[in-house]
Amino acid sequence: MEVFLQIIFSGIAVGMIYAVIAFGYQLTFATSGTLNFSQGDALAFGALAGLSIVEHLHNYWLMIPVVMVVGALYGVMIERLGVRPALKIKSEGWIMATIALGIIVHNVAENIWGKDDLKFPSPVSEIPINILGANVLPMEIIVVFGALGLMLAVELFNRKSIYGKAVVATSADRDAAGLMGINTSLVIVFSYALSSLTAAFAGVLIAPLTLTGASMGAALGLKAFAVAIIGGLTSGLGVIVGGLILGITETATGFYISTGYKDVPGLILLLLVLAIKPAGLFGKTAIKKV
Amino acid sequence: MKLKSICAVAVALAMQFAFAADSIKIGVTGPFTGGSSPMGVSMRDGIRLAAQEINAKGGVMGRKIELIERDDEAKNERGVQVVQELINKEQIVAALGVVNTGVGLACQRFYQEAKIPMITSVATGSIVTKQFLPPEFPDNYIFRVSAYDAIQSAMIVEEAVGRRGLKKVAILADSTNYGQLGREDLEKALAKKNVTAVAVEKFNIKDVDMTPQLLKAKAAGAEAILTYGIGPELAQIANGMVKLGWKVPMMGSWTLSMSNFIDNAGPNGEGARMPQTFIQEGTTPKRKAFIEAYQKAYGVDRIPSPVSAAQGYDSLYILAAAIGQAGSTDGVKIREALESLKSPVDGVVMTYHQPYSKTDHETVDMGTPVMGEVKGGHVVFAYEEDKKKASKASK
Repeated sequence: MEVFLQIIFSGIAVGMIYAVIAFGYQLTFATSGTLNFSQGDALAFGALAGLSIVEHLHNYWLMIPVVMVVGALYGVMIERLGVRPALKIKSEGWIMATIALGIIVHNVAENIWGKDDLKFPSPVSEIPINILGANVLPMEIIVVFGALGLMLAVELFNRKSIYGKAVVATSADRDAAGLMGINTSLVIVFSYALSSLTAAFAGVLIAPLTLTGASMGAALGLKAFAVAIIGGLTSGLGVIVGGLILGITETATGFYISTGYKDVPGLILLLLVLAIKPAGLFGKTAIKKV
Repeated sequence: MKLKSICAVAVALAMQFAFAADSIKIGVTGPFTGGSSPMGVSMRDGIRLAAQEINAKGGVMGRKIELIERDDEAKNERGVQVVQELINKEQIVAALGVVNTGVGLACQRFYQEAKIPMITSVATGSIVTKQFLPPEFPDNYIFRVSAYDAIQSAMIVEEAVGRRGLKKVAILADSTNYGQLGREDLEKALAKKNVTAVAVEKFNIKDVDMTPQLLKAKAAGAEAILTYGIGPELAQIANGMVKLGWKVPMMGSWTLSMSNFIDNAGPNGEGARMPQTFIQEGTTPKRKAFIEAYQKAYGVDRIPSPVSAAQGYDSLYILAAAIGQAGSTDGVKIREALESLKSPVDGVVMTYHQPYSKTDHETVDMGTPVMGEVKGGHVVFAYEEDKKKASKASK
């Protein structure tokens, strides 16, 4: 039982990390139907920027808002350089453009911070807490609640504020929304800023648990993409459930089957979802009228 | 005008000739960036130190040694690329380096085909020097100065099963060539003691959570963890154990001495034990001089990977001795000289008396490496008698 709980707890911690990154994919998809494929690099960039800022501020908690601003600016840059030109001519060029920008950011980060993995000082005690016989690090709890809190805040903002109405209108019909006086390109920029902000936030949140480096986002960005597909790209709740499913299956497979096959069940699940319910577990099927 | 241009061409040719006669080009490849970089950078710096010393004494055959360094980024495909560049474009006469077993296995074929002798400074996979053995290949151009995995795994098993009498051990190895070949060697060494590992687990480079692997080892009742991986992930294992509130001795291949393991694991890595060919302690005058020279040249107190630095340093001295004896930069002659070195080479790891022969391309034997232990952020001798013995190692 204790082992089982330990697996569940570890799975939840890993899953929430995936979920908060996947949440970023979902934000931009909702407004413009585009995805930022450099989400993993936004995460690494945020974590590395956070590491430098912490050295100046000497306070982890004060650093977080600064990093969120850095992340938002990063998102604006991606949108301006990679997405807007493609959207203007209604091409799919944003796919390559965001990947290319991600590689550039990765290289820039390697040149600024080096290619080595760096240790991120933990803001809380690194002594595990015992919950029902299973050990959990205080930082893991912060990751879970931090991720949940951020997603909740963004969801509330989207649902209750006037901006949220604009998002709904933009995603329903961009041209009509534009005619109604909604500045749709501003809405899209804002969604990109929010999306990269969550990625940068995720970066500094997990950095004390993992090691920080320019390539830390590559594997995470990809897994989060799987989560976004499993949960559904149009659903905020979907990514949380998707993240938990992937995180727990991975950890459980590692323990009950073999650590060599740890990544397999999650990907099988991805294939199943794509075959049976392509919009994702919680996604709304998009009906395209031709 | 015509005369002038002829003169210019003649001068240019003469300069080129003079330059070519002046330096002996030796290729150095290794991971100077990324997770393996403490080994790669220390090795390179050790080789550079040896090159400066040799050149200050007038070089080899009156010619200076020129190092051509390339970063292989610990990637197999990148290693293949840079080695081909070194051979075809830079026209090197011999090569040193290679830290990662996988990279070595992928790229040394080109040295073999070009008949360019290569001394592996760091990579430890047992088969690294055994890829081109007779009768299939008439001559083997791959040599080595590091302790290969069959020796290391035997030492690790001796430490766990022999000295400490632990019968239940778990193996945690990464999914690279290095980790998986090392795991095989560990399993073989355990079988010799009639022990089977209670858990054999795998992890990937950049894995962030080692909980499932450690839980399996714990559930199987492991009394020690035997590791084969590199610094950052080994640190995740040490940190993961503390998280689970489970503490058993950690022993593994020499990579547990890497600075990025020691730094990232912090207090959780204390007590980890690993085989070492060299420990940063001045037990002999030669070692003392080497450590001081290294510290002075690179402005560090702790060498990021002392073993790599010492082996890199020694590998160039052995190569230089062979080139001197061959009296030529011809690859075949250098190989023949390496296989029949007449004068002893006074190295940091040991004094090399005829280190290689036609059939033996290893310098390190069972009994040469000592057991090291992480203590206070440094690697020290685990056993006092090893420290005494370390003052007179030779082959």
